Amino acid sequence: MNAQPLGQFEDWLPGGGAIDLPGADLDWLATARQRALASARALGVPTARHEAWRYTSLKGLIEQAFTPYGAAAPGARPDDLEAHLIAGLDSHRVVLVDGRFAPGLSDLGDLPAGLRIAGLGQLLSQDPDALQGRLTGVAGTGAHLFAALNTVAMRDGLVVLVEPGVRLARPIELIHLAVGTERPGVAQPRTLIALGEGAEATLVERFVGTDEARCCTNLVGEVALGRAATLGHYRVQTEGAQTFHISALHIALESQSRYRGLNVGLGAAWARTDLVARFAGEGAECDLSGLYLAGDRQLIDFHLDVDHAVPGCASRERFKGVLHGKGRAVFDGRVLVARDAQQSDAEMVNNNLLLSANAEIDTKPQLEIYADDVKCSHGTTVGQIEPETLFYLRARGIPAIEARRMLCLAFAEEILADLRPLGPLHGHVAELVGARLERVAFD
Amino acid sequence: MSTAPVVEDLVKAEYEHGFVTEIDADTLPPGLDEEVIAAISARKGEPDFMLEWRLKAFRHWQGMTTPQWAAVDYPPIDFQAISYFSAPRKKEGPKSLDEVDPALLETYNKLGIPIEEQKALAGIAVDAVFDSVSVATTFREKLAEAGVIFCSISEAVRDHPDLVRPYLGSVVPYTDNFYAALNAAVFSDGTFVYIPRGVRCPMELSTYFRINARNTGQFERTLIVAEEGSYVSYLEGCTAPMRDENQLHAAVVELIAMDDAQIKYSTVQNWYPGDERGRGGIYNFVTKRGDCRGARSKISWTQVETGSAITWKYPSCLLRGEDSVGEFYSVAVTKGRQQADTGTKMIHMGRNTRSTIVSKGISAGHGQQTYRGLVRIAGRAEGARNHTQCDSLLIGDRCAAHTFPYIEVKNPTAQMEHEATTSKISEDQLFYCRARGLSEEDAVSMIVNGFCKEVFRELPMEFAVEAQKLLAISLEGAVG
Repeated sequence: MNAQPLGQFEDWLPGGGAIDLPGADLDWLATARQRALASARALGVPTARHEAWRYTSLKGLIEQAFTPYGAAAPGARPDDLEAHLIAGLDSHRVVLVDGRFAPGLSDLGDLPAGLRIAGLGQLLSQDPDALQGRLTGVAGTGAHLFAALNTVAMRDGLVVLVEPGVRLARPIELIHLAVGTERPGVAQPRTLIALGEGAEATLVERFVGTDEARCCTNLVGEVALGRAATLGHYRVQTEGAQTFHISALHIALESQSRYRGLNVGLGAAWARTDLVARFAGEGAECDLSGLYLAGDRQLIDFHLDVDHAVPGCASRERFKGVLHGKGRAVFDGRVLVARDAQQSDAEMVNNNLLLSANAEIDTKPQLEIYADDVKCSHGTTVGQIEPETLFYLRARGIPAIEARRMLCLAFAEEILADLRPLGPLHGHVAELVGARLERVAFD
Repeated sequence: MSTAPVVEDLVKAEYEHGFVTEIDADTLPPGLDEEVIAAISARKGEPDFMLEWRLKAFRHWQGMTTPQWAAVDYPPIDFQAISYFSAPRKKEGPKSLDEVDPALLETYNKLGIPIEEQKALAGIAVDAVFDSVSVATTFREKLAEAGVIFCSISEAVRDHPDLVRPYLGSVVPYTDNFYAALNAAVFSDGTFVYIPRGVRCPMELSTYFRINARNTGQFERTLIVAEEGSYVSYLEGCTAPMRDENQLHAAVVELIAMDDAQIKYSTVQNWYPGDERGRGGIYNFVTKRGDCRGARSKISWTQVETGSAITWKYPSCLLRGEDSVGEFYSVAVTKGRQQADTGTKMIHMGRNTRSTIVSKGISAGHGQQTYRGLVRIAGRAEGARNHTQCDSLLIGDRCAAHTFPYIEVKNPTAQMEHEATTSKISEDQLFYCRARGLSEEDAVSMIVNGFCKEVFRELPMEFAVEAQKLLAISLEGAVG
């Protein structure tokens, strides 16, 4: 294939032969990086003519001219983090500041036996054998150009390894803190979460930052679930108003494993999330749900790609969105049932509330089916708050604006209810959603 | 019902369409350039504006590439190997049954409804298109009484240029897509319907398309204009004889409905789908679009697609007028090696516009089927409403069914729902029917007909009967 120029994104590649990247001496990693680079060049910069970017323009991102932070990471003080902590959430806390592991801000005391948490850069230099066959094992060269660029340029991130049979009592909390520098910078962190056979873990992943920071996150996450392993993965994106967010999460599920992922998209000026799940063994289950609120010229884009490559697996996708102001959202869900993947069960639902005249939703739920003994469905709705329901509340003396807010909260709560087992996190997110709805002009 | 025995007879009747009628065709040599286009235009005695328009379309087409986005797979088409014009000089010559696949004949035997019989059955006016030039138009006087114009588009271009010119290409411009551009450049014939203000067309209008001469691509162009307060129901049905080579069919259909006008467009398509290994068969690349220009206008597309090797077809509605309504009801069957990428577009632009989409896909054998649809609700379309239902039924573990709906909403008063399901015929349903003495094939046929009922009931009665038979025959041998 022809090598295509990457325009502004050439800058995202490491310069000078990439000698300063961690793990530069590892052959397997060098090979993976070369493949990713070839893939990036083959893909080129996506435009509206690329199906996966049809509704998501890169114009704003390109205009920002983000450049990588380089070897010297911007630092963060404990104060920067303090504002983002959730009181009462008891967790093993890891903090990445602009993509770099910050041991000083992390809280990794009393790790139970069988749980290993380390910075990616650190592990690549100290114990690369722990990563061989795992890092890039799930994501390959990535879902799109940016995932490929991440693979070429990754220098740090987080690795979580859970031994077979280990059940973690406390959740792991990963905080991506965007601080930024004077110059608009892009962080390209990489995460790898691998659970051994029968292991169980909960991961809370939060993306936070300030409205002042002009920066970009380009994350690739890999989740590898061993046989009968279970991961609860709660992702909350509340980045600042000037932040651009790209994340691609690749999930591989061995037989009988279970993945439950919840994605909340509230922040950033422009956010694109790809969730790519692939069943590798029979009897596995994947549950992806999400809530997005877009307003204030925001764009929030979720792309889902669930591959029923083997028989007997179940997937469920439930995404709900509230669009207000000049907010735009894109939902693109694809379920693929491969030939002979009989007894597949897939259900996809996408519901949207459109609250203002300038908001827009583009949704595309797709089924691609090559087997016959399957149960697959998808449903999509776009609508408003029902006048009857509103009338019911108003008849009970609740002012119209308040009633609308209540109904929107209830709409959101259907997704957020999954957070209830993590008490303080649920309270935190519900509060953020409530605060956002306070600002919505219901008219 | 009194028509039931008649239908029985018809179903058992000898097939009369499934052979190549050796018509001495006045055919242009294969190839396409400006001279060929000028020749087509000259032979048809067209006014200058037509030739200019064709040439503009041709020049535009030269800069275009074949669309690659559809989920269909076929070898590249050599557009220079196609002959772009073929007109029959005389009526039916001697019939040579030798050229026909007996299996195909047998199928058609159970189906064939001769033109004459059909006229008698339901008073349908038949405008039979042999290849490219209409050779028979009936019931014309009766229509003329009502002021309805129903003729070939070549005649219309000559006799009613003032009626054709403002509308031709106004719904599907030649820049629309590759095949629409090609059609605009080379279209040989087709149908023109004009229903004057306030007239309810006294009969269902019907055109039987046939593809005859070898290596002749078919480029039909249909234009239906329904003036204020008028109504027309148009039926389009197709049969095609056995072919060795792939035949390209790139038609364009344009519908225009003014204030309070209604157009109902029904299609039964059972062109030759190719043999078991996928050789031969028709490529059906059609652009169909209706323009609800007037307030309270309504355009309804109903299609039963069982034939063709490859179908690429998206009958659409532009809902411009206030309170206008668009409908799309579709049954598509793919079996053997057939591929179909079909669906609709509902573009809501006017206030309080409504649209309904019901798509039923049945995929058997190695059939590949895709529903691809777009519902767009523009910012100005206050109070727009859409409901979409697309269901797929899978028969056999080597077939495929895909759903690719696009939904774009820019107005907060819009309400749209989309539902899709994919499943196979349940063992319980089959067992229930078999326990009551039905053979497996009959049981499947019954279940499939039930699955398609929502669409069949939108078809005119005669078509509904034919469609059900067609479906049963199409699925013969698909089970077990």
